[in-house]
Amino acid sequence: MSGLYLHIPFCKQACSYCDFYFVTSQQYKQPFVDELIKEIRSRKDTRFAAEKVRTIYFGGGTPSLLSAGQVHQILEAISETFPLELEEVTFEMNPDDVTVDYLNDLKKTGINRASMGVQSTDPDLLNFMHRAHTSEEALQCLELLHLSKFEVFTVDLIYGNPGQTITSLERDLDIILGYNPQHVSAYSLTIEPRTRLGKQVELGRIVPPEDDTIATHYDVVEKTLRAAGILQYEVSNFARPGDEAIHNSNYWEHANYLGFGPGAHSFWWETSGRAGKRWSNEKKLRSYLNGSWNSPYAEELLELPALAEERLMLGLRTRKGISEDTLQEKYEVSFSPAQTEYLHRMEQQGKVITGNRIQLTTKGLKIADTILLDLLTI
Amino acid sequence: MNNIRNFCIIAHIDHGKSTLADRLLQITGSISEREMQEQILDDMDLERERGITIKSHAIRMDYKRPNGEEYVYNLIDTPGHVDFAYEVSRALKACEGAILVVDAAQGIEAQTISNLYQAIDQDLEIIPVLNKIDLPGADPEGVGQQIVDLIGCDHEDILSVSGKTGEGVEALLETIVERVPGPKREDDKPLRALIFDSIFNTYRGSVAYVRVMEGVLRKGDAFRFMANGEEYNAEEIGYLKMNKEPTKELRAGEVGYVIGSVKSLQDVRVGDTITKVDNPAEEAIPGYKEAKPMVFSGIFPTQAEDFEDLRGALEKLQLNDASLSYEPETSKALGFGFRAGFLGLLHMEIVQERLDREFDIDIITTVPNVQYEVQLEGDERIGVDNPSQMPEVGDIDTIFEPYIKASIITPADYIGPVMKLCQDRRGVYVNQLFMQNNRVEITYELPMAEVVFDFYDRLKSGTRGYASLDYEFIEYRKGDLVRLDILLNGDQVDALSSITHRDKAYYLGRKVCAKLKELIPQQQFEVAVQAAIGSRIIARDTVRAIRKDVTAKCYGGDISRKRKLLEKQKAGKKRMKQVGTVEIPQEAFLAVLSMDDEDRN
Repeated sequence: MSGLYLHIPFCKQACSYCDFYFVTSQQYKQPFVDELIKEIRSRKDTRFAAEKVRTIYFGGGTPSLLSAGQVHQILEAISETFPLELEEVTFEMNPDDVTVDYLNDLKKTGINRASMGVQSTDPDLLNFMHRAHTSEEALQCLELLHLSKFEVFTVDLIYGNPGQTITSLERDLDIILGYNPQHVSAYSLTIEPRTRLGKQVELGRIVPPEDDTIATHYDVVEKTLRAAGILQYEVSNFARPGDEAIHNSNYWEHANYLGFGPGAHSFWWETSGRAGKRWSNEKKLRSYLNGSWNSPYAEELLELPALAEERLMLGLRTRKGISEDTLQEKYEVSFSPAQTEYLHRMEQQGKVITGNRIQLTTKGLKIADTILLDLLTI
Repeated sequence: MNNIRNFCIIAHIDHGKSTLADRLLQITGSISEREMQEQILDDMDLERERGITIKSHAIRMDYKRPNGEEYVYNLIDTPGHVDFAYEVSRALKACEGAILVVDAAQGIEAQTISNLYQAIDQDLEIIPVLNKIDLPGADPEGVGQQIVDLIGCDHEDILSVSGKTGEGVEALLETIVERVPGPKREDDKPLRALIFDSIFNTYRGSVAYVRVMEGVLRKGDAFRFMANGEEYNAEEIGYLKMNKEPTKELRAGEVGYVIGSVKSLQDVRVGDTITKVDNPAEEAIPGYKEAKPMVFSGIFPTQAEDFEDLRGALEKLQLNDASLSYEPETSKALGFGFRAGFLGLLHMEIVQERLDREFDIDIITTVPNVQYEVQLEGDERIGVDNPSQMPEVGDIDTIFEPYIKASIITPADYIGPVMKLCQDRRGVYVNQLFMQNNRVEITYELPMAEVVFDFYDRLKSGTRGYASLDYEFIEYRKGDLVRLDILLNGDQVDALSSITHRDKAYYLGRKVCAKLKELIPQQQFEVAVQAAIGSRIIARDTVRAIRKDVTAKCYGGDISRKRKLLEKQKAGKKRMKQVGTVEIPQEAFLAVLSMDDEDRN
């Protein structure tokens, strides 16, 4: 079983925090769709098409800048290339693109999970983030989604913004919960160096919030969502039990996936099961349109020890954790006495649950990077 | 005819010694245009980067006079820094003449004066040369007067050259023949050859650079190092041309190299005398000294398993640098390592940098300190070169610390800042002397401990780089000194202890705590940083526990990125030192040194 990721590299404008690849010019949309379909079809009859596709994910950029017809074309190409046993087809959208008709048309193409990039409902914050939508559009769109009856809809939220108060965050959560989403992705604002935000921070024009403030935000998010029955299952992902994202969960479990489109990443196990390959496409749309996807832009072969570390890194970010059996059987590693001792010490501090599965608690997840680094260097 | 001339060049850093030497090599045809690489003599990367000569070098040139006479010139280069005064004295000993090079724009500097006096003491013929006469700021009149005042020569005796354009260099070559006396050619006396430098060759062992003072050394001769009596055979001897040129014998007055499968490489000591096993000389050439370290610092491997590699690296460095001394040291905080002694701060930096560059060993160095003499209750007096070994307060009667006499030459505009710096460093004013060109020589007596702490950098920055410094040890004096300890979560970190004047202890304690708070990364628990004198806590800071540390997003493309970041973090963490439960980055061990400008005083 595998997953497919489709990168739609168009945006109306640059959000201040985003370092994903996109272009703001819309004139190449159809040529892009044509090229994307070419890339998809190039996988026909390869070993990648021997596995059934379980999930598809339209990410970006802004997938909702595509017409439903274009989405349909892409999904057609996929079904003609890969055997399907689809459980989840996710589509990222921005509030300013959503209409009742658009949502209905998307549903008809087979999209069953809508992901809405709300980020905040606070007009000042949206302005700060340089989002294309207004607070009103966000609320209107949530209303539409609520009514549209996708199997799942999920809302993206960003917290830990400079100047953001707890009250403002609580209001965001409150409003979103009012529309009864099955899933929420809440991200602590990451300041990437090559973004408008990153530059402003570098220049000292914007002061990022204190760690303590962000930690408090994190707690507020987790508690508020839990109270609404939406539980943390990964550092930044929360869902009603049973509505966890399958596609993203597969990333964390080292399932095979293929990425299509400029800058898209792929991972596939070697047939030996003792190594995996990660590769990505060139980022530039122009070269993508010239067929750069024909050869990988960056490629690395990871042997079991590196994969084991990755798996631990990914597994520890999920509440499900990682089982020692899996580590031993699939990755041929087990914890050293020092590592075991460390995990027990962390358990006493309420940060880890040991047993057959090693899991981080909510408290542990909050410092998952520290714990992972400790574990790997102890 | 005595056709050998042995000479050196005395100059301040930047006054163009190396450029002038290159020009001499070029004009005498000792090096082809093609081989010409800037500043041939400084062949260590470090030397080129810093523009200073760390080791002595020697090179033989064949000079043909315009009248057709042929001469052999041995140019013996000397290290150009105050830390290496002894090496300079040995190199001077190997010469009959010295070219005094002075930058025609900058004038004479403190270091030059001290080396010049050494040369005059050793009866060397001085050829004064004004260099960089092509520069717009050159002041040949004024700087010439400085030289006249200093060595009592006539204005006409001073040569003007430009190492850069080559102007005047041919005249200089002629002057060397005329003024520098040829060496005595006492071939018939028992052999005495002065070692003025040594280098280590991986395949051949130690190579001694020698000046034969008397007698003859032939290939195959059995010879002896007079300092320790070790004996070897002269397997190869030769001249120091651009490449080593083997020969059958080195006669009195000649300069060359000796290779003798010297396995115990500590045997080749700068300043020692080589004699022959049969018919040995009765006395060694006077002036040999064991290198006396003035500055001490702990050197520890970041990774405990690198200890043996570090030992090997120090051994190898010592082969080329007999003035480096070290002995094993165990620190509670840093584990097994070495306490090393250096001639001075620059020497220490050089060794540390070479360990990193040439041996690729990650090391942690502790704050440098001087050697104290401690009068214990009762009669005993001990030497302490490691703050952590300072006896308990109750056992100490008096602590003595080394003092130096520092002579600083600076443009008169900067007298204020120089004096303030010296006062802040507990200096005792001796006098000041006005020189030509609006320059002043200021003399202070200073505790050496105050000078090893970035004194030189402060001096330079306080005088826009104009001041120069020379110093010599004078004596041990009583000092009101205390040991300042640093505690992390209640555990004393021995490697962070320092010895300081009582009046400065509180201030230093507060500053070190604040600096450590900045440098120690947040951990899963709170870390108390305290400074103490004995059992008395005098300062405290707290590194708060980490509250949130987790990457927000980890999807498809993020995974590679995060793994790569993790690799970096792992490497960074491996360089940290675990002290008790607390992890400390390497920089923390130099926290005292890395404090900001206004922090110091």
